[in-house]
Amino acid sequence: MADNHEWIEELLAGYVLRSLSGEDAVVADRLLSEHVPSCPMCRDTLAAFQGVAGEVALAPAPVPPPDLLLPRMHELLAEPSGRRRRRPMSLWAAAASVVALVGLAGWNVSLGFRANHAESQSSTFLRALDAAARPNSETVPLNPSESAGAGSMQEIRAPGVEPIYLVGRDIPEPGAGRVYQVWLGSAGRYKPVGTFFPEENVTVLELHNVNPSVYDEILITEEPAGTTPTQPSPATRWQASLTAG
Amino acid sequence: MPEDLADDLELHRRLGGRDVTAFDELFRRYGAAAHGLALRVTGQELLAQEVVQDAFLALWRAPEAYDPSRGPFRTFFLSLVHHRAVDTVRREERLRKRTERALNPEDVYGEDVAEGVVAEAYLGQRRLEVRAALSTLPVDQRKVLEMAYFGGATQAQISAELGIPIGTVKTRTLAAMRKLRRALYRED
Repeated sequence: MADNHEWIEELLAGYVLRSLSGEDAVVADRLLSEHVPSCPMCRDTLAAFQGVAGEVALAPAPVPPPDLLLPRMHELLAEPSGRRRRRPMSLWAAAASVVALVGLAGWNVSLGFRANHAESQSSTFLRALDAAARPNSETVPLNPSESAGAGSMQEIRAPGVEPIYLVGRDIPEPGAGRVYQVWLGSAGRYKPVGTFFPEENVTVLELHNVNPSVYDEILITEEPAGTTPTQPSPATRWQASLTAG
Repeated sequence: MPEDLADDLELHRRLGGRDVTAFDELFRRYGAAAHGLALRVTGQELLAQEVVQDAFLALWRAPEAYDPSRGPFRTFFLSLVHHRAVDTVRREERLRKRTERALNPEDVYGEDVAEGVVAEAYLGQRRLEVRAALSTLPVDQRKVLEMAYFGGATQAQISAELGIPIGTVKTRTLAAMRKLRRALYRED
């Protein structure tokens, strides 16, 4: 294996770009620990490719970071490294953290997932705030299961406002390779309507075309990412009843 | 050694003494480049800020991770930013959208909104050289490189996306890296 330097170079090129997966990644890790340290040619190649990768980083247009980022980092400089990371947070940043579940068709809910650009994300966040501020709006906490851990999820509904908003605060990340799945339930039968991955501070879900006369329950479970579950797993996180308003 | 590189080494050395002013100066020098890169890879402002913050805090907490004998501080740090950005993209499991964007070379470079900023003048010349080197790559090699680097795609994903054997992806990647190596380190 170690004699085939063309092949090794291919792996090293992929390695520095972080584009290896599967068996290639395993082999590259082995090479990096067993062969490269003792091979001057491979050491040179790796160092040069790492340099190239660092230089390519300059190609995108530079974008000055927000003025508040450095002061926020100053607040974190004294924290021990093991402490949970805090994302930069401001009203605008919170608005940008919105995740939207957007309705696609009809009352028989079919919802897809998309992450909007910051501007429309902000709009979604502001729409949720507007709904909560309306007269006779309802803000109902979803009931956490014992396994929900930290964080809270609230449902916001307002007369005359078609979407239902779910606002999560400090929702923990799901397990590795998993996402949160939103379900609508009717008489014990559930329909998956979208997945989301939480932001650290505030996550807002916008559910369109939810007919409370058809569905009587909202459920959030944790499911394997990239799958299309047909039934909620037992790993329920939050649940709430939907009542016709 | 160019003065800027020497300055970087001195600033890095001062990080070991928990010198916040050195941290601030490195942020001033590399914040815009890091943010532009993170924004390019993640496609989302909040994620980009998270990446930049994590990279700078990682540098602050473990400055010894950079070994000056292995190359300039700049390439080390921006590689760190890139790694974190790619990891973030994969965590978010939204690769497809970004891969599509990486296919559009016009998006890669964009407008230099920070051109003229004093701190960016430091990196401006090298940026031009890098872009010139990238522009000399054959289209098929450049596409594979950009999908991996800016799209965060694995070689297997690139193979599937382009409908070409993974061996071809590897060959093109290596050819691109060799050409960039020659172009960028010709005079070193």
